[in-house]
Amino acid sequence: MSQTTAVPAGTDPRPRVVVRGDDAVVAGVRCTECGHPVAFVRPRCPACRGPVEPAEFGPAGTAWSSTVVRIPVPGREPPYALAYLDLDDGPRVLAHLPGDRAVPVGTRLRLTAPDEAGDLTAEEA
Amino acid sequence: MDVAVHGVGTSHFGRQPDRPLIDLAWDAVREALADAGTDQVDAVYVGTVFGAPGVAQRVLSALGITGIPILTLENACASGTTALVEGHEAVRTGRYGRVLALGLEQMSTTFGGAIHPESSDAEGLAGLALPALYAMAAHRYLQTGAATAEQLATVSVKNHAHALHNPRAQYSGSYTVEQVLGSRMIADPLTLLQCCPTSDGAAAAVLAPATGGAREIPVRGLAIRSGDLWDHRSPHVWGYDLVAATAALAYEAAGIAPGDVDLFEVHDAFTIGEVATTEALGIVGHGDGGKAAESGRTAVGGASPVNPSGGLLSRGHPLGATGLAQVAEVVWQLRGDAGGRQVDGARIGLVETMGGGVSGIDGNACVVAVLGA
Repeated sequence: MSQTTAVPAGTDPRPRVVVRGDDAVVAGVRCTECGHPVAFVRPRCPACRGPVEPAEFGPAGTAWSSTVVRIPVPGREPPYALAYLDLDDGPRVLAHLPGDRAVPVGTRLRLTAPDEAGDLTAEEA
Repeated sequence: MDVAVHGVGTSHFGRQPDRPLIDLAWDAVREALADAGTDQVDAVYVGTVFGAPGVAQRVLSALGITGIPILTLENACASGTTALVEGHEAVRTGRYGRVLALGLEQMSTTFGGAIHPESSDAEGLAGLALPALYAMAAHRYLQTGAATAEQLATVSVKNHAHALHNPRAQYSGSYTVEQVLGSRMIADPLTLLQCCPTSDGAAAAVLAPATGGAREIPVRGLAIRSGDLWDHRSPHVWGYDLVAATAALAYEAAGIAPGDVDLFEVHDAFTIGEVATTEALGIVGHGDGGKAAESGRTAVGGASPVNPSGGLLSRGHPLGATGLAQVAEVVWQLRGDAGGRQVDGARIGLVETMGGGVSGIDGNACVVAVLGA
C-alpha cells in the first residue's frame, strides 16, 4: 500500500478529488470552445488555448492500461498497482488500484475516495 | 554550411561511483579531441540531467577548457543529443567554428536504484516511476495483441548479445528468452533484464564544418521536438507519436526514407521502448516491432540492425551521456571501426533519443539525427 507523501500545502500537483456520498469525482476544467476535458484546474485549455470552466469527471471509466510497481519508490512501499483510467467523457487519469494485480485493458473501473497518501484511487466497477 | 562530426569519444559505461565525473569526462573529451585532431574548440554544449549546478564548468575547467561559452542543457534522457542539435546549429549558422558537445551523468552516487519520480509532477508524486510508465505501454501492447512477452524479451536477448562485442558496455551476455522473462519483476510485465541499468559515463563529439575528410561523418539531418499533449485522445502508447513526428522531420531534413538507413541506435531504456520505436521510426509497420525482433530483422546481420552497441539496455544509460554515446557508436559504425559488432557496409546511421518525466505530454524531448553520406 501507499504511504503518505508529504508536499507543502497548496503545491500538490495531483488532480483534486471531491467525494459525494459513494461517488468520487475529479474536479478539473472543461474548455468552453472545444470541449476538451482536463483533470486539473488550468488557466486555459491546453489543447486549443480557449477559455475553461470548472467541471467534474467520473466516477466511472475504462482502464487504458495498468501495471504493478515492484521496486522501491521514495515514500512508498511496493508492490502497488496503477492504472491509466479514461473517465467517461473525461480525461485520462492515473489511479492507484487495490491489491497487487494489473487489470486487463478495457476493465470498467470506478473512482473511490483518495487514500491517506492523497492519491487518486479506483476499483473494479 | 554543411556540418560534420570530426571526432567522438566516450568513457567506459557502468557503475563507477569511485571515478570522479572529471575522470569520466576526460576519457570522453580526450578521445574526441584526439579523434578530431585538435585541442581547440570555440564553445561547449553540455547535456546533463541530474548534474549539480555548475557541473559543466566544474568539469571542463579541470580539463583546461575555460574562457569560452559553455552552455548546459537539460532535456531529460535526450540531453546529450540536445547538446548535439544546438552545437550543430551553432556551427551551421557560423556562430562558432568548432564546437564540443559533451554528455555527462553520474547516477550511482545520486540514486541507489531507479530514478526517483519527480514530486512536483502529478504522476511523479503519485508514484509513477519511469519503469512503470513503460510498463503501461508494454501491458497495452501485450493486451491488444500488438506484441508478445516473448517478443519483448527477444529485444533484451539481442541487445545483450550485441554488447558482447562492445568492450565499453556495462553489461553483456548470452541470455535466453526464458531467462529474461524469469528475471525479477520490476513493473509488470517488465522484468529486470528488460530495464536499463543505473550508469555513470560521459560521451563527446566534435562538430565543425564539413571539409570532405575521409574520417569525417556528415550530419545529414537533425530534428528536435517536445511532445504534444498525451491524453485520452491519444491512440498510441506514450512517446510513440513524438518519435514518429520527430523522425518525419529528420527524414525530410536528410532527404531519405527509413529504408535508406543501414543501422539505428534507438532509445531502448526498456524493451518495449525499442519495439515501439522501431514502429514509430517507420522501420516496420505498427504492431510489427515485436515480430521484427523475433525474426532477427533488427539484429546485426539482419535487414535493419537496431542497437548494435547493445543499446541502453546493455551499454548502459547515463542519462545526459546517452545521446552522444549513440552518436559515437554510429560514427564508429560508419567508419567501419565497430569490430565484432560492425554492420557491414554501413553508410547511413540514425540516432533516436527520447526523454520523459513530465506527465500529460508525449515526452519532454525527442531528438532524431541522421548521420552519413
